[in-house]
This record gives sequence, C-alpha cells and structure tokens, in this order.
Amino acid sequence: MVGGVMRGIGRYTLLSIILAVMIFPLLWMFRVSLSAPGASIGLADVFSTGLSLQTYTDIFRTSHMGRYLFNSAFVGVTVTAGNILFSFMVGYTLARYRTLTNKLVFFTVIGILMIPAHIVIIPLYVLMVKAHLYDTYWALILPWLVNPIGIFLVKQYVETIPTSMEEAARIDGAGELSILFRIVMPMCKPALAVLAIQVFFTNWNSFLFPFILTQSDQIRTLPVALALYQGHQAIDWQHLMAGSTIAVLPVLILFIIMQRQIVSGITAGAVKQ
Amino acid sequence: MKSKVFIALFFAFIFCFSSASAKTTITWWQFWTDPDIKPVIESMVSDFEKANPDIKVELTDLTWANGHEKIAIAFGSSTGPDIVELGSDWIAEFASNGLLKDVSSEIAPDSSQLQGWGMSTYQGKVYAQPWILGTRVLFGNRDLLNKAGYDPDWVPVKWNELMYAAKKINRLGKNYYGWGSNTAEKHRLYKKFLPFFWSNDAQIFSDDGKYCLIASDKAVYALTFYKQLNDSCGYVDTQRGIEDAFLNGKIGFILSGDWLLKRIEKEHRKINLMATLMPGQKFPGKSFLGGEFLAINAASKNADAAQKFIKYMTSPENQVKFCKANRSANPSSLKAQQDPYFKSNVILQAFIKQIALAKHPPVDPDWVYIEEAIEGAVEDALFGDGLVAQPLFEAKEKIDKIKHTE
Amino acid sequence: MKNARTVALLLALPWVVTFAAFWLFPVVYSLIVGFTDAQLLAHETHWVGWDNFRALFHDPAFVSSLKNTFLFVIVTIPITTVVSLSLAHMVNRQFKGRGLFRAGYFVPSITSMVVIALIFTNLYQRGGYVAMLASMVGFTPPQNGFLFDSHTALYAIMAMDIWMAAGYYMLIFLAGLKSIPDELYEAAELSGAGKIRQFFSITLPMLKPVALFILVINSIKSFQVFVEIFVMTSGKFDTSTAVFFVYDTGLTTKFQFGYASAAAYVLFVIIAVFSAAQFMLLRRRQPLW
Repeated sequence: MVGGVMRGIGRYTLLSIILAVMIFPLLWMFRVSLSAPGASIGLADVFSTGLSLQTYTDIFRTSHMGRYLFNSAFVGVTVTAGNILFSFMVGYTLARYRTLTNKLVFFTVIGILMIPAHIVIIPLYVLMVKAHLYDTYWALILPWLVNPIGIFLVKQYVETIPTSMEEAARIDGAGELSILFRIVMPMCKPALAVLAIQVFFTNWNSFLFPFILTQSDQIRTLPVALALYQGHQAIDWQHLMAGSTIAVLPVLILFIIMQRQIVSGITAGAVKQ
Repeated sequence: MKSKVFIALFFAFIFCFSSASAKTTITWWQFWTDPDIKPVIESMVSDFEKANPDIKVELTDLTWANGHEKIAIAFGSSTGPDIVELGSDWIAEFASNGLLKDVSSEIAPDSSQLQGWGMSTYQGKVYAQPWILGTRVLFGNRDLLNKAGYDPDWVPVKWNELMYAAKKINRLGKNYYGWGSNTAEKHRLYKKFLPFFWSNDAQIFSDDGKYCLIASDKAVYALTFYKQLNDSCGYVDTQRGIEDAFLNGKIGFILSGDWLLKRIEKEHRKINLMATLMPGQKFPGKSFLGGEFLAINAASKNADAAQKFIKYMTSPENQVKFCKANRSANPSSLKAQQDPYFKSNVILQAFIKQIALAKHPPVDPDWVYIEEAIEGAVEDALFGDGLVAQPLFEAKEKIDKIKHTE
Repeated sequence: MKNARTVALLLALPWVVTFAAFWLFPVVYSLIVGFTDAQLLAHETHWVGWDNFRALFHDPAFVSSLKNTFLFVIVTIPITTVVSLSLAHMVNRQFKGRGLFRAGYFVPSITSMVVIALIFTNLYQRGGYVAMLASMVGFTPPQNGFLFDSHTALYAIMAMDIWMAAGYYMLIFLAGLKSIPDELYEAAELSGAGKIRQFFSITLPMLKPVALFILVINSIKSFQVFVEIFVMTSGKFDTSTAVFFVYDTGLTTKFQFGYASAAAYVLFVIIAVFSAAQFMLLRRRQPLW
C-alpha cells in the first residue's frame, strides 16, 4: 500500500518535472513579453520586475504587426476554406467513383505525401517569379488549396457513410452538385472539422514557403516577420517575445476548444480505427 | 467634308501637343528609407523635377534585408528599374551579365571629381557612378582608456599598441572586454579581417592576377594577430551585439562604420568616443572600402534622363546635404569632402582620412566565392581548430580552383 | 444525366490541376535544371550534364551539409522515438490530471518552429538558462554561448527538436497503445508475465506499425531540417544542412538555380531510398485501395 503511494508520488514527481521542462520555454516567452521594454530579463528579475503590456502596444504601433497578423489570418482562412471545398470534392470522388483515373489520382495523392517539400523550393520560386505572382497572396494560397491529407481524411470518412441518401436523392432527380453539397457535405462535418483544424494549423505556423515566396512587408506572414525581425539594436527580446506570443495564442486557443479534432487529425493516418 | 478635315486636324494638333510635352518617367530603386533621410531624398527629387519639368522620377524603397534579392529578381525577369542603387560588392555580378549600361563615355566630366571609380569598373569599362562611400575606422571608448591609464588624446598607432591597450582594458574587470570580435556572419566578417590583412601589406591576388597570395607569410601573420585579439580580449557577437555592448561601455575597441554615429545620435548614447585610423604594422594601416553606387539598367529606354538624374544626385551640394542628414562620413565627391561640415568634426575627419588609405575587394563576379573562402578561413582559425596557416592554405586551394590561379 | 465518369473527373480536377502545376511540373523542372548551369541573372543557360553532381561531391560546403543532415537524422529519430514512447506509456494509465500532463507535453509541438527557435536562441546564449543549468551539473558551457561553437551548436538544435517533437509523437503512440486489446495483457498477467515482460512481448510488437509510421514521417521531416538552422545560426558553426545549402546556393546572393536544384535532387534521392527501405519493413496486409 505504502509502496503504491510512494510509487504514485514518484510518478507524479517525474511527470511534473517533465511537464516543467516542456512548458518552461513557453512560459518564459510569455513572461518576457509582459516585461517593460528595456527591463532586464535575467533569472533574478522574473519575479521582481513588474508586468507591463507596453511591448504589445509598441509592436502594434511601431512595427507592422497588425499587417502580419492580418496576412497570416487571411491566408490561413482562405486556404482552409479552399480545402474545405476542394479537398472535399476530391475526397468524395475518390470514395464514390472507382474509376481507373481515380485510382491513378489516389496514388498521386499518396505519392505527394512521400515527396519531400524541399524539392519544389526552387521550381516554385522560379514559377512564381515568371508568372509575376511572386510576393503576392496568390503565391501563398494557390499551391495549398488542395491538401493530400485533407483528401485522405475526407475519403476515409465518406467511405464510412452509406450511399443510401445519395441514391435516394438521385432517384428524386437531384443534380450531382446538389447531392454533393446539400446532402453529403453536412454529413461530413466531423471530418471537415478535423481537416479545417489540421490545415489551418499547418498554414498558420508555416515558414519555409511564405519565406521563400514573399519579400515585402505587405504580404509577409507572422512567422516570417518574427524570423526576420531585425532591430537596429541587438535582439530586443521583450518585443520579439510579444510578437511570438501573438503567434502562439490563436493556436493555443484553438487547441483548448478543439482538442479532440486536433488529436484525431494527427492520429488519423497512423492507426486504423 | 469640312467637319472631317477639322476633326483630323484637331487630333493631329492634340497628338503633336501631347508628344511635345511628353514626360519621361524614370524609376529609381533606392535603400534610404528611414524617416530622417527619406524626406531629404524626396526633396532632392522634387527639386530635380522642378528644374527638369519633362522628367518625372518614381521612387521605390528597398530594405537592406532583401533589397539585393529584389533587385536580382527584377533584373532576372527583365522588370528592373531605370536607375538602381547598388552596393559596391554587387556591381560585378550585374555588370558581368550585361545588365548595366556601360557609362564609360559619359563619366569624363566627373571622373576627376569623384572617388571610388575603381569599384564600378569591370573589365576596363565603367558601369556605375559612385555616390556615397563607406569605410571602417577604429572606434574606442575614451572612458575605458582613461581608466586603463592612457592620456586623453592617445591613439594606438601600431598593432602592438592596440593589443596592449585592449588587454589592459580587458583586465579592468569581468564585464569589460578589450576588443569587439565579429562572429561568423556572412558578408560581414571579411570586412573586419581584411583591414588587418591589408594593413600588413598582404594581398589577395598578385598584381598580375596569376597567383593567389592569401596564404603568404604576411597573411598568416595578420590572421594570427587577429586571432590573438579575439582570444585574449574578444567579445564575440554579431555586429549588432558588438555595437550594443560597445555603446553600453563594455568594450574598449571596435572596427565599425559611420552608421555608428547615426545610432549614437538617434539613441542619445552617452559615450566618450574616440575615432582613429586603422593601426598598422607600420602606421597607418589600410581599411576596407565600399560604397553605394548609382547604375543605369542596360535595358532602360530613358538612359539620358537617368544619366541627368544621377549627375544631379552625385553633385557636391547634394552629397553634402545627404551626408548631413544621414550622418554619413564619406561623400564620393572630392569637393564635398572639403565642406566645413566634415572639416570641423574630428570624428568625421578620421573617416575622410581613412578613405584615402582604404582598399576594396576586386570587382569580380566570383567575389562572393572568394569572400566565402576567406570567411571560412577566419572562422576556422577563430572558432574551429585554432590553426592559422592551415585554413588559409585551404582557402587558397578553394580560390585557386575558382579563379584558376596558382 | 451527367456521365459518372465526367462527374468523377470534374470533381477530381482541383487536385489534378494543383498537382500538375505545383508538384509534377516543379519536380520535373528541378530534375532538368539540375543538369544545367541556370542562374537568375544569366541570359543563357547551358546543358552541363553531370557536372553539377560531380562538383557537389567535391564541394566541402555540400558534403558537410549532408554530413550534418545525416547526423541530425541519426541522433534525433531514435531519441525522439524512445522519449515519446516513454511519455505515452507513462500517461496511458488512468490517473488524476492525466489530461493536463498530456496537453502540456503536446503543446510545444503545435507552436511555430520559428517561435521555438527564437526562444531557444535566448535560452542557449552566453550566460543564459541552459548555460546556468550546465554549470550546475559541472559542465562548462562554451564561452560565447551554445550556438556560437561548432562543437555544441548542432547538438543544441537537435535537443530543441527532440523537446518539441516528443509530445506530438507521444499522441500517436498513445493511439497505438489504445488499440492494443486489453485481453492480451490480461492473458499475459494470468500466465505470470511481469510488467516488463509484457512490455517487450506484447506492447512493442503490437506497436510496430505505428512506430514505423512515426519513423517514416519523422525521417522525412528531419532530413529537411531548415527553419531552426536559418533562425538560430544561419548555417554557421558547422550547422548547415542540405536544405539550407539548397536555399543558400539557389535563393541568396549566388542564385545558382542549376547547382542548387542538383543538390535538392541528391537529397530527394536519399530520402526516397531511406523511405523505401523503411517501407520494405512495413508490409501492408490490407489493400490501400
């Protein structure tokens, strides 16, 4: 009995130490962002320095934080909405229409998941420059409107839905598009929620391609702006961490609200349910 | 019938009138975008437009972070501006690809008035006009020097004097460092090492260009000295970090440029500043020379108007105006350098004198690879295995392969 | 009444177009350009055959970037797998506050890598928290900070990566653990097998598909490590990786599209071979389609 309690305490201690290690950097970021600009941020100052929201007002005033935030949100929402529409369409057709072409399409979808993204860095760059889409929202949106993981999620889900409702509607004379969007789509809400979260997260945090394909302040997204933050002084941690906190906050909020969908999206491909 | 003739004449009249007063619009991409210097540029531009009512100048702002890339992409996709501001180390890559207009025949009236032509001459032809030059001088913290027991107007003149003073400052306490030593930062580290290299009379290439001399005895000694400074009293950080620590009174000596003066003023820094020429094995030493140039796009259809504008911007009066607003120390115009603004300021005088003793890297489209090899050698010596001759030999081998030298 | 085939095709069109324009074309283009000397600023492009590939393997910058990439993969993947499996095992049982621990371990992995890299740049600096921790356990931290020293920089970044990814793979392992039927454990319990024996005889074998899935996606991700390097060290102090080399050669100062594309293809082949080898080990019993 005592042994059990001791082991229990031991386990909690170990888990808590690990939790502290995992959480500390983010807590530090949050704490520093609430320090007054110019205040020292060493270990001794964590509890002694007062809290201040000045860094947040500063970065919105002096840098283009508002713009970066808007860009990230705009691109994120557009890509997510696009995926809800297009990935859904493709996923549905792969689930319902077993044609030879679709078999081919399916294998390209799976194949893309295997192709590492880096191989398209230079070609996409050249393509966007030649098409005069470099440094525009198009460059950030077009290549990601249809996501293979999204297609896969939708396909798997639609396969679990019986075709009876669609058949009935077809007999009633409803058009294919109407069936698709009025009957099947609402039934797919759970899968679409998972897809939306997955796509939005990936997009909100993404750095590589927004960095490569854009250049000006107007189009820049938040992660790129943070990475390129160059004050004329040495790194200004307070402001930088304020910007970082802003980048992390939406993700955290969404995580709290939609935890189940997030987990489901991550484990979808790994384990057969 | 009469009405048709009238209409035809009317349109002909409109056409002639409009083409007679047709405005030429030239586009200019430039880097001076921050709030104290941009208005000066804009006012110069509008003065030019008033004096030349048939020319309109459209400005586009570039940032130092990605301006080079933006220019390269524009020229690469044939959408470049008429006039572009280029850093001295970028001219070779654009000139060698035929992207800049050869202005050799137009510079005759200016050639003796401006300094820096060497940096815009490629294979015997001139491709850009020098505008504002830049060099590096030795900055010191007078307060720390006083604390270390030096006279208030002492300056280090030879390398051993610099080393001794730096070490003395380093011994003042745990938080004091004698020398600000740049860490491995691309396109920056070589500008800090080459002054030592050149001050010891070392050369990158032999005069006939057949040999790479980067591993000569003189070069090895220069790097050994540079490494000693770093090891014994160096505060290693990025350029920004070093400047910040220096302005906070932690570092005794740094090698830096005239932008530091702007920082001191803008941020109201209290620092007892000393500025002097680069010390040498035999005084004085040689420093690094770079600068901003104005070039015309080879594909520009408005070359004449562009040339007019460039001459205007590089006139002595406008250069003085610019330098005053930007705290720049080195106008390319010899006449501008005589202005009392420069002559009356001790710190600016150090810059003006240093320019005469500054060398620039060769104008070569392969320079970026040579620079990489040199920086690699310095990084190896300072932050790697600590050998000095070996990395220099390896750098020489790399350069030999690229330039087919021996 | 639309032909079923037409409808199917129309619905698949968004993917087909996206795939063709933004994946197929670039992959093919990249391959072709790798055999030329294409540069952003040059007017003409010439076919150079295998020259780029030959030069790559004589280029110390590329070779060291490949070495660093392999090092990164070989070190982080086993450690991440073990750590995430351990975490999953520990939070798998029912106990109070389990959800909190699970969420806490997972949160780092959903934040942006840029944010994490920035935070750790401070934590690793001269006199920073990690330096203090190191001194406390008797290890002298590098004079200029962990990221300004070629002996520690890459490993510091690896540690950060492991820290960040552990929670993510923990979730996947958790799902895998849940899918193992309790009856197996009960049966083993009855035959007298201890917890440790159960772990090695039941848990590990049943987790093989999940573990291999994690290995594959983690490998593909790790072979392409770039963001951390770009933000924290700019490739200096022996931290340059293959993708960083591609970026540096192709999209900065030099703009050598041909050479950089060749380098990208070498990495692509390496990843493909590695993934194929891993897939050989995972033989699917159920048909995908």
